[in-house]
Amino acid sequence: MNVVAKKPRTIPESSLIGTRIPKMDAPEKASGRTRYIHDINLSGQLYGKILRSARVHARIVAIDTSAAKALPGVHVVLTAADVPDQRPIGVARDHFPLKGDRVRSQRDEIAAVAAESEEIAAAALKLIKVVYEDLPVIADPEDAIKPGAPLLHPAPAGAQPAGATVAHRGKADNIAMRFDYAHGDVVQGEAESDVVIEDTFKLHYVTHCCMGVSGMIAEFDASGSLLMYSNTQVPFLHKREFAEYLNMDPARVRIIQPPIGGGFGSKLDIYPFEVICLFLARAARRPVKLVFSREEEFLASPTRQPVLLTLRSGCKKDGTLTFRQVHTLHDNGAYTSWGATTPFVMMQTFSSLYRVPHCDYHTVAVYTNNPYAGSFRGYGNLQATFAIEQQMDEMAAAIGMDPLAFRLKNAQHTGEVTGQGMEFKSCGFTDCLNTAAQRSDFSRKFADNAAERNQPGHLKRGIGMASMLHVGGGAKIYPSDGCGTILKMDDFANVTLITGASEIGQGSETVLSQLVCEELGLPISALTVVNNDTAITPWDVGVHASRTTFIAGNSAIGAAKKAKTKILAVAAQKFGCTAEELDLRGGCVIKAADGEVVTELSKLIRNLHFSDKAELVMTTFYYEPPSVHQGKDYKGDVSAAYAWATQVVEVEVDTDTGIVRMLKVTGAHDVGRVLNRLGIEGQVEGGIVMGQGYALTENLMIENGVMKNPNFRDYKLITAPEIPEMDVSFIESMDGEGPQGAKGIGEAPAICIAAATANAIANATGVRLYDLPFTPERVYRALHGQTPKLYWKPWVPAA
Amino acid sequence: MSPKHDIEFALNGIRQRVTVPATMNTLEMLRDVLGLTGTKYGCGEGECGACTIQVDGVSMNSCLMFAVDCDGRELTTIEGLANDTRADALRASFVEHGAVQCGFCTPGMVMQADHLLHKHPEPDAETIKAGIEGNICRCTGYKKIVDAIACVGCTNK
Amino acid sequence: MTELERYVAPTTLAAAIDCLKDGEVTILAGGTDLTPQTRAGRMRIKRTLMNIRRIPELKGIALDGGAIRIGALTTITEIMDSALIAKHLPVLVETCRHFASDQIRNAGTLGGNLCNASPAGDTAIPLLVLGASVELASKPEDKIYRRSIPLSEFFVGPGQTRRSLCELLTAVTVPLPAPGHVARFHKFGTRVGLDISTVSIGIGGTLKDGALAAARVAFGAVAATPLRAAQTEAALEGQRLDAAAIARIAAVARDEVHPIDDVRATAWYRKELIHNMTKRMLENVAQA
Repeated sequence: MNVVAKKPRTIPESSLIGTRIPKMDAPEKASGRTRYIHDINLSGQLYGKILRSARVHARIVAIDTSAAKALPGVHVVLTAADVPDQRPIGVARDHFPLKGDRVRSQRDEIAAVAAESEEIAAAALKLIKVVYEDLPVIADPEDAIKPGAPLLHPAPAGAQPAGATVAHRGKADNIAMRFDYAHGDVVQGEAESDVVIEDTFKLHYVTHCCMGVSGMIAEFDASGSLLMYSNTQVPFLHKREFAEYLNMDPARVRIIQPPIGGGFGSKLDIYPFEVICLFLARAARRPVKLVFSREEEFLASPTRQPVLLTLRSGCKKDGTLTFRQVHTLHDNGAYTSWGATTPFVMMQTFSSLYRVPHCDYHTVAVYTNNPYAGSFRGYGNLQATFAIEQQMDEMAAAIGMDPLAFRLKNAQHTGEVTGQGMEFKSCGFTDCLNTAAQRSDFSRKFADNAAERNQPGHLKRGIGMASMLHVGGGAKIYPSDGCGTILKMDDFANVTLITGASEIGQGSETVLSQLVCEELGLPISALTVVNNDTAITPWDVGVHASRTTFIAGNSAIGAAKKAKTKILAVAAQKFGCTAEELDLRGGCVIKAADGEVVTELSKLIRNLHFSDKAELVMTTFYYEPPSVHQGKDYKGDVSAAYAWATQVVEVEVDTDTGIVRMLKVTGAHDVGRVLNRLGIEGQVEGGIVMGQGYALTENLMIENGVMKNPNFRDYKLITAPEIPEMDVSFIESMDGEGPQGAKGIGEAPAICIAAATANAIANATGVRLYDLPFTPERVYRALHGQTPKLYWKPWVPAA
Repeated sequence: MSPKHDIEFALNGIRQRVTVPATMNTLEMLRDVLGLTGTKYGCGEGECGACTIQVDGVSMNSCLMFAVDCDGRELTTIEGLANDTRADALRASFVEHGAVQCGFCTPGMVMQADHLLHKHPEPDAETIKAGIEGNICRCTGYKKIVDAIACVGCTNK
Repeated sequence: MTELERYVAPTTLAAAIDCLKDGEVTILAGGTDLTPQTRAGRMRIKRTLMNIRRIPELKGIALDGGAIRIGALTTITEIMDSALIAKHLPVLVETCRHFASDQIRNAGTLGGNLCNASPAGDTAIPLLVLGASVELASKPEDKIYRRSIPLSEFFVGPGQTRRSLCELLTAVTVPLPAPGHVARFHKFGTRVGLDISTVSIGIGGTLKDGALAAARVAFGAVAATPLRAAQTEAALEGQRLDAAAIARIAAVARDEVHPIDDVRATAWYRKELIHNMTKRMLENVAQA
């Protein structure tokens, strides 16, 4: 067949990388057509509701559910006694979904109801009578580790099963987890120091506040297989766990993930309500839908990890860092979720954000009667960065060095391997520092603000900077950190990309489509993404650790490359040339040399399909990043790439009121490479404002275990009039392993803001604040000398 | 049980007759009785704006409005706006400016933005920010939402 | 405990007041406060739920002799958009800008905001400064009887007013301020409107030769009700607003209030804010 046309059509080279591509799901969302879990109703479904503890810490003496059971419209009422086969859940397997003998926090689940309407279910809860016997409340983690403190998880009476969990056998102390890490010798480091600074920092409770509240729908089919509609961020891990909790074969558990109304890390663990929903559906033999109210969302969702942290650091007169010694006390809350494991991330920041020859890190996470902390965008890094970056300013001041110069002197560079074994194959840290400083005119403003501090007037301007290091190429926590892709092309050269990676609003569908289109020379409109059903999608470890663009992206590219190889081989054979001479562009097979169209891709695919070979273009790929697991000493190159950022915050402090207004944020982010400019800007801007809330307004107030503000009226999220001007630059360090050179940045933009704000307030007023958030009253008190210097003398129980 | 009432009103240009309990709010009526799930529950207390609809041409939190009070009034929800070509530019602007991430706040945000643009056809950034103060977004940081609304305002000039 | 038995939506004032004779009536206007209060269990809907939104005579803003009469059903947005209010009572417009969000301003009514009698209620503060009265209508026989009481006497405690169970608040009347009258409003919060006031301050009077005559000062969120500050008013009356006087008056204000600690602020901080913001507002008045 002669393909030479009269006028050969050529397609010029073009790239989707770095362009602004609207999210593929945005038109549906903007029309109100997207059906979230709250919008799904199964025929014949019942409504589940949970009775939570009226006490913070108490023994349950008796539960009477008879009146609730008698209420018309109530189908099932469950307490722990009704589910004798329930198994412990949580990261440390330290609690049961339904609490039988003891409640340890305000959120604790005592009973659950499935009824014909939410109204009836709510009425039934009011009819359940619980008799409590109060136990002493341990609200302060410092009290919890004192010798002789009452135990949160004492050993229950009776014989315990072999291999018993914390929930079965109890714990002899209140220590949930501990982490001890070191490289070098801090004693030597301190001896070499000209300046040594020690401060205590206190980090508060905040929570995710996903706009869509938590919910789940569970249904067992006629043969006992389970179908769940769930917003988990880790469907494949949870599929196995749910099966374990129900003592059933994981193959018979299917999870469908409807679009999610916000994740931010909140859906990384299995929570009691999910297992309870399964119990209700199993007992009712009908579908059960269980959705939180906003108040319940506050009470029973995880929080960011509250931390008390004492940091001791040193440097030489020339600005060289000598050592860091860190002790943290993590308030674990009543049970253990991922919050207890934030030291994995925190120690990386202490050991490796800057070059530190000697580092010593200790965390004790202790049980208290407070809400329990889970994973939240940034995963401990906001807390660690808050401490480190304030001390960087303090040390710079102590040796009379400009804060920028001090940071530049100690910044990491490409090629370095840190004391913790992290290898920085691409590192744009220095560029981040210089770009953010130049664009914000940092050094001039820093000096001017300090000089103007004592001028009259109640408004003071300040500028502060902070930087961060975070995993940007996955994180090898589980046996595999991989992601699978199935790619199929139809006869019209449309692609269905079936990926294990979930969409949580961050735009993964769009960026994965973009990467596939880039390989196959197709327009975005040719792509359909399937990513929400464990019965269809290949395995993925889940959405966390800023990994999806990197890991799922590489996986999608792998599948696309295989498809391309197959297509070009067929084309080469058909047109009598080598595959190397051909390429894909604009929906056509073209000559690589000049872009001349050889044939339309769809035509080629149809020829292949309807030929003697009768073949379809379908490929699979599984990408496993070349990272390694950490050793027992927490050392190892745990991520395939690392992201860097510097953020400069400018504030105005009203000394009459303590109100801190955030005027401007200048950010420079090493993102490897910009894939979807629209998407990455959205991630960074959203992260900045989340960081702003952490720094200034958000504060989950817990008094003696009781949450005082479980509502948006007094838990203050940032609203539109408060947002700062945002100037965001992207440093393209072109990571060798990253998809098209990109690294993950989902968590990065929230991390530095609180630290930079603290530095800005100090620059504005000369007063440094060590505890968050910087609410007006707290700032006002500090400005008026009403705040004694915080000090926590680290006390570490013997290991 | 709360007494029930028959009410009649115009919903997205269509007459509706429903029987609702006196204590039901409009959000529950829209979602649970009428099956229009585009309007979202975010807090139930008028603090987040996810449930914003328009009643007789002005925006309101449907979670704060008693369903019985809809009697005789004209309601527009996101579904109604989606049928309205007048709002095409607004929706397209949200999409093109990246004003949508998880999308849960988006219907309420679009309803409020539509009302804002009615009242201020060419709003500046400060007017837009003040206008959407009652709509919480946890994903975007608001900047792209403000840009999206401003862009529609520009083309109104 | 009675349960809700009936819902009514009268279309005339007379019918509404007749309905009130039941004694067990919850009045629904904008619903912006009633809904969260009842859903959170802080308040219970009584035997009759009466929607007063369909009573035309409760609406509208009009100049009535020497006063402006604002119907109880007037929404906060309608007040903000009123040319009449902007001309004569600009401080009320300024206050309304700090009232919740657009959606709530579109639904919430002036009468509702006053009858809620929240210690932190926004509209009460400028109205106290403006010397407003509330009009209460009842119908002891077959004729509607109206009485007027000064707003400064209206509030009794959190959620409690001098409105009797058989009365309906029909309007707020505000005397036209004298020529040269100035008024300022300050609401403390990091968010423009959404924040519940930690403190709010209203100051007004007739400015002459750098001093305020017929001075009125009102504070919100520092006591069980929004209140007039008699001692601060006395200290302010006729004083030339130089730096020393302002400092003195601000100190009087701080000593006059006795706020409490709550989830939003401590008493100490509220007193500091009263001092600092009163000072700043008076400095602003002095420059007017």
